[in-house]
Amino acid sequence: MDTRKLNRRQAVALLGGAAALGAAGPAFGQAEPAKPAQLVVNHSGGSMGTAMRKAFFNGFEKKYGIKVVETSPVDFGKLRAMVDSGNVEWDLTEIGGQDAIRAGKANLLDKVDPKVVDRSKYPATAQNPFVFASSVYTTIIGYRTDVFKGGTQPKSWADWWDVKKFPGARSMRNHPTDNLEFALIADGVPKDKLYPIDFDRAFKKLDQIKPHVTVWWSTGQQPAQLLLDKEVVLATGWNGRFYDIIKKGAPVEIEWNEGALKQGSFAIPRGAKSPYWANKMLAELAIPQQQAVYASELGYPGLNLESLNFVDAKVKPYLPTNYLDKQFWISDEWYAENGTKAAELWNAWMLKKA
Amino acid sequence: MFSSRSGFWPALPALILLLVFFLFPVVRMLGFSVEAGTLDWYAKALGEGLYLRVLWNTFEIALLVTLFCLLLGYPLGFLMATTTPFWATMGFIFVLLPLWTSVLVRTYAWMVLLGRNGVFNRMLMEAGITSDPIPLLHNFTGVLIGMVHVLLPYMVLPIYGAVRKVDPAIPAAAAGLGASNWRIFWRVWMPLTLNGVFAGCVLVFVLSLGFYITPALLGGGRVIMIAVLIEQQVREALNWPFAAALSAVLLAATFAVYTLAQRFTQPETAR
Repeated sequence: MDTRKLNRRQAVALLGGAAALGAAGPAFGQAEPAKPAQLVVNHSGGSMGTAMRKAFFNGFEKKYGIKVVETSPVDFGKLRAMVDSGNVEWDLTEIGGQDAIRAGKANLLDKVDPKVVDRSKYPATAQNPFVFASSVYTTIIGYRTDVFKGGTQPKSWADWWDVKKFPGARSMRNHPTDNLEFALIADGVPKDKLYPIDFDRAFKKLDQIKPHVTVWWSTGQQPAQLLLDKEVVLATGWNGRFYDIIKKGAPVEIEWNEGALKQGSFAIPRGAKSPYWANKMLAELAIPQQQAVYASELGYPGLNLESLNFVDAKVKPYLPTNYLDKQFWISDEWYAENGTKAAELWNAWMLKKA
Repeated sequence: MFSSRSGFWPALPALILLLVFFLFPVVRMLGFSVEAGTLDWYAKALGEGLYLRVLWNTFEIALLVTLFCLLLGYPLGFLMATTTPFWATMGFIFVLLPLWTSVLVRTYAWMVLLGRNGVFNRMLMEAGITSDPIPLLHNFTGVLIGMVHVLLPYMVLPIYGAVRKVDPAIPAAAAGLGASNWRIFWRVWMPLTLNGVFAGCVLVFVLSLGFYITPALLGGGRVIMIAVLIEQQVREALNWPFAAALSAVLLAATFAVYTLAQRFTQPETAR
């Protein structure tokens, strides 16, 4: 048979075959599942949502013609309720690091599809089958530059605990994560020997700092606001919140040494309506140029380490990926197992009269 | 019989709504707590010092908030019910306007006012009344101020209603018979408005028990209420059976307080 000259019957047969292939789904080459009218992405909202729209969602909508609907806030309880009841509204959701690990184990998530999402440029620790690491953030020291002038700020957790040499009201997060680690480091435990956490030792060290902590913060905006109002002169906080007020000219700077690194994550709930397109969105989140746009907005860089090459030189000093060696990674695995115990001990410690 | 039936039917839609969207979820939620067939979660809630202490703290705060709301709310409600229509309207505007503002916004506003460098402390220091800022925020005082402000309308409105219902001839008669103002208040106004006081106290008290965001932000993290711990169990620990047990304990304790309060106040008014 001459392949160049197909008669009508042969042509119809070929087309039929192709259609059948298409119907069989994404396993066969280029054919894609039908495009939904919209893709629902759940995230923390606020300035993060604005940056995600600018860096990722607008491009996605243009490329595929699928409307991206954003919802918030991130809520692990709601995720579980959705999956359990079979009524999953989110195609993709942001999720906390240790929650993501527990959710994967509890069968609440779909795996990230390696055929759609290329994570070859990601560090090995950021390749969990259920969890897409979208960004890095860190809890570090923010300080008033009018109080600690010319590099006189505390430069370690031992310094933070030294209230004679570094006087002034402090604020720390009302949560065991970060603080247990900071206490152990201040007490002389090396950064790579923190886990498993020695609760007794950590809380004993925390007892020393308790009278000097004016505010135990519970929302991310608080530490930045407390520094702005000079309610405190030293605060632990998430780097992006400090970056935001520094950009606006606040007399505040960041000390990066011994910061607690964590990854921001996205995952696909099991039973999501358009899992294929959710994976396509993750592929969009993995593009280094787009990650650079996002990082410049918020100070939270992506984990595609190539993205640092696309960031403005003025922004780079405010990105935690620039100081990976000075800092340490919070163990999501450890908290997935011990988080509840840690929270109970923390509450009891907080109620204890100092 | 007939009249009670005719009173029942119009209420049916509301009753069905409550049954489906309130009673059923509450019963389901309580079911979680005994899912495993044991009372282990209740043993944990009542056996571990942490939860009982937080529960006690919660009731203590709720009681104090109710007391302060009553002290502020009774004179205000009374005044609004007995003054000229113009001032009554002004009173309503000032009482109701905050009610329509988000609790979060009002809480942040208190943070601006009460902080170390806040409006109050700057005024006090510039007037030379104190040399160091008074700690009004990030402690128990801050939580009380914030909560009383949020909940005051729930006290004022029932009291206003109760005062309006009193026939003005009764206190006038008491005055005509030579009773002192103080005596008129205690022997006439108080018993006749006790229903409103009771309604206001119950509203404020019960709403206080569930408070969450105001204590977290104004208490500097030191003031823990039971709603915070329940929320932790629901959203962080994902331990819904335990969250349900804690909620059940809170519900039972609330009912107990309600019944007690009713015992003390109702016989006087029911007569």
